[in-house]
Amino acid sequence: MNNHFLLMVIFSALVSLVFVFLTKNGARDRIKYFFYLFGSFILLSVLAGWIMYPFPF
Amino acid sequence: MDMESIPQEESSLPASGGILKTAVACVAGFLVPGLGHALLRKWDRALVFLAAICVMFFLGIRLQGRLFSPDFSEFFAILKFAAEAGGGLLYWLSWLQGLGTGNPAAYSYGFGNVFMYTAGLLNMLVVVDVFDIGMGRKK
Repeated sequence: MNNHFLLMVIFSALVSLVFVFLTKNGARDRIKYFFYLFGSFILLSVLAGWIMYPFPF
Repeated sequence: MDMESIPQEESSLPASGGILKTAVACVAGFLVPGLGHALLRKWDRALVFLAAICVMFFLGIRLQGRLFSPDFSEFFAILKFAAEAGGGLLYWLSWLQGLGTGNPAAYSYGFGNVFMYTAGLLNMLVVVDVFDIGMGRKK
């Protein structure tokens, strides 16, 4: 499995799932919060990647 | 405070779920992810935690991450060991089986380690959740 983006997506999905079940009750709240967390993970990771892109190390 | 002024959701919580039962659930939850919630009859959480944490941990091994042995000679080695050992029996059984030797030259070595650290750390959070539910602080 040599695709870092795919691994990041799997990681984000699993961590979001655990956080959602730790913090929310009820299916509706959980689904909404899952997508919020999952989307935040992906967006912020890509953003951080682009910010670090010019770094020489 | 007048009981009628307490919201229905809070007043229905037990004052304490029983300290012994809570302690047993915490220990069980630490050893096997989700087992603590199962003992408290929180079946949905139990299943999700078991599945998510086990998948993360074994994916970490599959990605050629390393299981850090108990090594107290260096600060960061202690942290790495503590994070992974948070997985409870997942860590110890895998360690005894000789899994997770790690290959630093592998493309996915870093990700593998992160998956295993996170699995252990999430399990610690899950145990805190078991404690809160057992003590009646949370539904």
